[in-house]
Amino acid sequence: MKRFYSRLPVWVTDYLGMAGALGLLLGIFGFTADNFFSRSTFLIIADQVPDITILAVGMTFVLIIAGIDLSVGSVMGFSGAVIGVLLVKSGQPIGLGIMAGLFVGLGCGLLNGLVVIKWSLPSFIVTLGMMEVARGAALRVTQSRTIYIPGYLDFITETRWLGISMPFILAVCIVLLAQFVLSHTVFGRYMVAIGTNEEAVRLSGINPKPVKLAVFSLSGLLAGLASIIHTARYQANPNNGQGVELQVIAAVVIGGTSLMGGRGSVLSTFFGVLIISVLETGLAQANAQESTKRLITGAVIVAAVILDYYRQRIRNVKTR
Amino acid sequence: MKIERIILLIGCLLLVFTGLSMPGCSRKGSSESEKPVIALVMKSLANEFFKTMEEGARQHHKEHASLYDLKVVGIKNEEDVSQQIKYVETLIAQKVDAVVIAPADSKALVKVCKQALEAGIVVVNIDNKLDEAVLASNDIKISFVGPDNRKGARLAGEYLAKHLQTGDKVAIIEGVPNAFNGIQRKLGFEDAMQAGGMTIVSSQSGYWETAKANQVSAAIITSHPDLKAILCANDSMALGAMAAVKAAGKSGRIRIVGFDNIEAVQILLQEGAILATVDQHGDKLAIYGIDYALDILMGQATPADRETPVDLITVETLQ
Repeated sequence: MKRFYSRLPVWVTDYLGMAGALGLLLGIFGFTADNFFSRSTFLIIADQVPDITILAVGMTFVLIIAGIDLSVGSVMGFSGAVIGVLLVKSGQPIGLGIMAGLFVGLGCGLLNGLVVIKWSLPSFIVTLGMMEVARGAALRVTQSRTIYIPGYLDFITETRWLGISMPFILAVCIVLLAQFVLSHTVFGRYMVAIGTNEEAVRLSGINPKPVKLAVFSLSGLLAGLASIIHTARYQANPNNGQGVELQVIAAVVIGGTSLMGGRGSVLSTFFGVLIISVLETGLAQANAQESTKRLITGAVIVAAVILDYYRQRIRNVKTR
Repeated sequence: MKIERIILLIGCLLLVFTGLSMPGCSRKGSSESEKPVIALVMKSLANEFFKTMEEGARQHHKEHASLYDLKVVGIKNEEDVSQQIKYVETLIAQKVDAVVIAPADSKALVKVCKQALEAGIVVVNIDNKLDEAVLASNDIKISFVGPDNRKGARLAGEYLAKHLQTGDKVAIIEGVPNAFNGIQRKLGFEDAMQAGGMTIVSSQSGYWETAKANQVSAAIITSHPDLKAILCANDSMALGAMAAVKAAGKSGRIRIVGFDNIEAVQILLQEGAILATVDQHGDKLAIYGIDYALDILMGQATPADRETPVDLITVETLQ
């Protein structure tokens, strides 16, 4: 317990660092982009982050157990495709479509987890396989066509409180809940322990397999949830979510979660998502050239990780 | 073990599925028949536009099965230029009679097309025109059968201009920056907007994607609150722009035009959420190419370019 208290200020400096970086970006765009500091800019960002945030929560957990999930983008595309087909082509009720979307996500995640633990395979290659399989399945069920969903899912994107959409509030709740699970439950402790040294966990009499299975399944389930929001906004395009996995991993790593496992924070991940989203929206509003956009985005990702290196050193000194 | 069995079962199912979907798997070897073999080399078959093109070609083949044998190959994603080059090399080795190709890159594919010509294969270029200068420097001529994207975009732009006033602010959402057809569409939009006296306040890439186009459109709408229209280089991006307009509460005040006439857009044209799109008859594009290749093979045509129709699609033309 004593150790926990001594770490508190470190957590505070962590978040202040992330918030500072975010503030700096906001300041820069305030000067360079037209109408950046407007209510609508922030509402746009709030509208655009929920799906990525939800995927990033799952990814944070997977990275903490020293795994990786490359399939989230494709699984999101596949779930969305199933929702589209059920609602539009087969005329099923909305509730069933949504449940099916969640179920597809969960199924893909469960399968990832089963294969990874059963044959002790690296999750990189297993989820890379799932990335292809889920994309193929998405193309198969939609016959490669975008399905327009006429208004059925508008209640998701258009239910707003004070201008803030339901998906954003849902995403924030998931972030808070996941942070609680990570830092205040036995399950969270197990995840960190497995990511730090799986063998030691096994030797101390804890079976890591159920935890790992749960983490991969959760990542899939969250991809299913993200697909509902994504599809409500962008229709059921089988190519939805292409390349999103890398964007999500970038956000999680910017948030200071280690690719080597054993260390991470969901709240910081949320900051990572916000930094990327502010960057993209700001660059578009500043009317930047395509090449400039990519140069800057790449540089910011690397800079954030370098920053994290120093933050980590400070923490190590403090907690030693 | 139970888990093992479940996974094996799923694995088998997947194998069956992929087996079913493999193009050409069930087809007989080409060497047995006397009919010419025409290979259709596409860009991504994951893209609705090329999928439609492929289906059109297969339908045509079914109706004219006595005339030729068809082989269809497509790359995984549209930017995978090297994969497409490898496919053409394989087709040369297989000694097909004609290659009808939608090049993933208008310059990078020229060299392998030259090799095909030198091997005595008829090469017809569809969809994305091979670069004139590179063709000339290689001393070859390849006939292009396809639509004029610039003209198509101009049609949509001119129709939009009728709904706008001089000086109105508009924005363009472009395709992938280096795509020839994307550039042509952008130029066509610009032609029409300049002729109508509108101001183009921003022109950014949406990378042909809905989500990306949504993000860029939303940003442009915020930085230019008096924006009157968004011109998108394809319909997937028009869907993204539409979501941005809706989220900004400006439905009806910002008009949207797209390109390609995908199925999903037709409802939106009727609802008025999208003003116009352009049909370049994707389903017939490959057929035009195949017909042309057949003509050349039978000595009825000499290689030259052939322009295919582009049509403006609006709520009036749908009825």
